[in-house]
This record gives sequence, C-alpha cells and structure tokens, in this order.
Amino acid sequence: MAFRTARNLAYFSNYIRNYSTNGPLVNVTVNEKSGFATATLQRPSVNSLNLELLTEISHTLQQLEKNKCRGLILTSASNKVFSAGLDLFELHKPNADKIKQMWSTLQEVWIKLYGSSYPTVAVVNGHAPAGGCMLALSCEYRVMLNNFIIGLNEAQIGFSAPMWLIDGMRNTIGSRQAEFALTAGTLFKTEEALKIGLVDEVAQSKEEAIEKAEKFLNKFAKIPPHARSMTKAALRGANIQALVRNKDEEVRSYVDFVTDSQFQDSLGEFIELNLKQKLSK
Amino acid sequence: MALRAVRSLASLSNPIRTYSTSGPLVNVSINEKTGIATATLQRPPVNSLNLELLTELCSTLEQLEKNKSRGLILTSSSNTVFSAGLDIYEMYKPNMDRYKQFWTTLQQTWINLYGSSYPTVAVVNGHAPAGGCLLALSCEYRIMLNNFTIGLNETKLGMIAPTWFAASMRNAIGTRQTELALITGNLFTTDEALKIGLVDEVAQSKDEALEKAGKFFDKFKRIPPHARTMTKTLLRGADIQALVKTRNEEMNKLTAFINDPKLQEAIGMYLESLKQKQNK
Repeated sequence: MAFRTARNLAYFSNYIRNYSTNGPLVNVTVNEKSGFATATLQRPSVNSLNLELLTEISHTLQQLEKNKCRGLILTSASNKVFSAGLDLFELHKPNADKIKQMWSTLQEVWIKLYGSSYPTVAVVNGHAPAGGCMLALSCEYRVMLNNFIIGLNEAQIGFSAPMWLIDGMRNTIGSRQAEFALTAGTLFKTEEALKIGLVDEVAQSKEEAIEKAEKFLNKFAKIPPHARSMTKAALRGANIQALVRNKDEEVRSYVDFVTDSQFQDSLGEFIELNLKQKLSK
Repeated sequence: MALRAVRSLASLSNPIRTYSTSGPLVNVSINEKTGIATATLQRPPVNSLNLELLTELCSTLEQLEKNKSRGLILTSSSNTVFSAGLDIYEMYKPNMDRYKQFWTTLQQTWINLYGSSYPTVAVVNGHAPAGGCLLALSCEYRIMLNNFTIGLNETKLGMIAPTWFAASMRNAIGTRQTELALITGNLFTTDEALKIGLVDEVAQSKDEALEKAGKFFDKFKRIPPHARTMTKTLLRGADIQALVKTRNEEMNKLTAFINDPKLQEAIGMYLESLKQKQNK
C-alpha cells in the first residue's frame, strides 16, 4: 500500500516531464497525460530565425514525428513576440554558403511542420511578422492573443515570400485576400486576422490560448490517426511536392537574390531605420 | 379548336410527366411547364449507395444530359435521410468484379453530376453524411431542411475521402474550411452548414425547399445555356480532369486496399454493431 503511494507520487512528479533533447533555443515538454507536446521558441530577444534556431526547430519536428507525437502546440517564451521571422542581420552582408544553409533549413522546417502527420496548433502569444507568420500558417490551427500583429510583410523589406508560403496563405485566407495582403505586405491586428480567417480563435491570455489549443487537439481523440494523417497528406501533398521538386533551384535563386546589391542596399536601409534604433535604446 | 382545348386541358391536369426509364431506385419526374427534372432517391431504408442505385442514378443523369434537361432537383423519398452514403455491404468481402463496377459507377456518377451541363439543386431533406454529402456538394446549389446533419465524416470511420470528394467540398467552402472539416470528419448541423456556406439556404419543409429551388433555376432564364455551360466547365473542368486522368490508378489502389484484413475486420465489426442496434 505504502509502496503504491510512493509510486504514484513518483508518477505525479514526472507528470510533466521535460524533454530537453533539443537544446537551448527550443524547449520541448510533453504532457504525459495527454501526449501533447509543447515546443517553445526561446531565442532572445525576438526568436528571429537564424540557422541555429531553424536547425533546432527542424530537429525537434523530426523527433516528434519519430516518437509518434499525438499533437504539437508551438509557442514562444517571449510575451511580446512569437517570432520576428528570418534574422535580418544574418541576411545582411552575408556569407553565401550560410544563406544557402539557412534557406535550405527553412524549407525543411516548412516541409516538416506543414506536412506533419500529427495535429499542430500555433499559440501566437506575440507579434508574428514574416517568418513568424509562416510558422503559424504551417500549423493546422491558430490561436492568437489580443493586441499583436501577424502577416507576411516580406514586400516591406524588398523581399518576396516564396511560392510555397504564398500557397499556404492562399489556402488559409483565399486567393483574393492573399493577393491583397501579400502585395501590400499587410500586418493584420489580431481582430482583423480573426475576421479574415488568418487566425481561428482569439484568447485573452496564454493559459486560455493553450486551453483552446488542447480543445482543438482533443477533437482527434476518437479519430483513427492514420486516416487523419492520410487525409491531411492528401490535402497538403501537392503543395509540399511542389516545393520538394524545386528545392535546390529555389535555394539557388534565393541566394542570388539575397546577395544581390539591390536587396542588400534596401535591407541595409531597413536595418538602419528600424532595427538599430531599437537595439540602441 | 376543340382538339386544342382538349389537349390543353389534358396538359393542365397532368403537368408532371413521369419518366420511368430509370427504374425503381430513382424516381424521375419532369415538370412539363418548367422542364425541370426531379430525381428522387428511393432505396429503403436510407438510400445507401450500392451498385444498383448508383447505376440508376448514373443512367438518369446521362438521359437528362442527352435530352438537354433544363435543370435537375436531386432529393430523397425518405423524410429522415437524404442518403447515408456508400453502402458498406459493397465493401465487405466484396466480389472484385462487382467492386470494380461499383467504384467505376460511383466515379462516373460524380463526373456526370458535378460536371452536368444543366443546373442542379440538391434538396437535402434528411441526413447527408459521407457519400450523401458528396451528392449534395456535386450540385450547384444546396437547400437543406432544419435539424439534420451533413458532412464528409469518412475520417471518423478510419477511411479517407478520395481527392475528388475534397475537391467538391473545396469548391463550396474553400480550402481552409475543407481541411478542418475533413481531418475532423465533421458532421455539420443545418445551421452550422449554412454559416460556413456548405449549404446555401435553409427551408422549413420540402415544399418550401422545392420553391426555393425553382427560384434558383429562374436565375438562368435569361442566360444563354451554352454560355452558362461553358463557364461551369471552365470552373469545374480541372477537378473533373484530375479524376478522369487518375481514375484507373485510383481503382487499382482501392482494389488493393479493400481486401486488407484489418480493414475487413473493422468493417465486419461495424456491420455487427449495426445489426445489434437493429435488433434492439
């Protein structure tokens, strides 16, 4: 009897076990009861996607797939920013090889997250421009906190979102809205994002958002997983194949684009005007 | 003069002509005044789609195409079920020749209905899960009665809806909602279906629904039919070509998949549970 109590206590203390298999930039915990994993981006200060963070995300997703994860909640350790997108400093005056690796890993992250067999929810608990929006869009469901912005604003920095991301946006909010949003590089406030279907629910706090995320993941409790994942694969497969077929060519063309002086000049200006000021404060 | 009067009187008293070319499982009547055909599924108890029903439906659609029908209303003689979807008995320990025929006829039925040159309205006067939802989605317009459910719930049964089922849904409610609906195998209530555009109107009775269907057909009174048809073909053509190009490949995959022992076991158990429900 005493032994059983001791065992139960031990079980409870391991109730939420920390998997720190992935390293410092992405924290992964698995709720043993529900089987749902939470991956928290934690690269100060704004979870900007550099090669290291992208690599850890890619590795995390691979592990989750391998361990037959029952569902993933993707969120941020910051309470202001979900992810600021690609690390612009790494794109500025870059080493071409590094850009090649970065873009390649970015593609991998998309393929693994957008194409995951397990259900995914983004708890967008901070601003999500550009690459941050990409991560949120890759998930099956998005719950966002109030008073933040989300969108694909690549056009604002003289960039174009890649085709697979454009399709991802189209598939979420429709062609008309996507065209409008992408050409203007629009960043939507939470309420606007909800209105056009860019996010699915709004929450007042991170706790509430996680609750809503789990509610979504629990919808699949009675659905045979293989039927669910094959259905998702059938729906998303064409998009993913389109990227897989053109992967290397796209990497080449983005490396060329990024290293080109026209982009470098406009990026330099953008950093000067928008980022350096903030950092020096 | 007298003869004309007699003829007019005759047509007044019998404006609905019945074609019994299609047989017992699909009743087809044509309103002589409007030229609109009504095809009523009548395979008791729940219009489940077996080879015989699909064959009659497929042939009906071909006849209507040949006779240049001015429009079709698709509905059910049951007042609780529009159609319960594919007949599970067709998938349980199937005779392979019959199974191939079954699936080919299903594909053709969809091609004929989704791609019909004439306008189509589904009067959804009962539950419409899975294949029932497919038939409704294939029509251009859907009017549903209150207090029923509709959706592609294949995932709930461990099955995967073919891509052309998804295409029909996408055509109505868009990509994002289709993905959500399909992975959760959601069955929408009438109100929910109206809200997301899965159905276009709600009616309180079958008569009201038929009236609303008439209003839909009226929209095309002044539209040259060939222009309407060409436009519909442009919009729906890609979806249809996608099936036409892959129908044999799909058939091969399904015939390989259907005999999987685990699947057959699951189907057997499901049929057993249905029998037990009936015996209660």
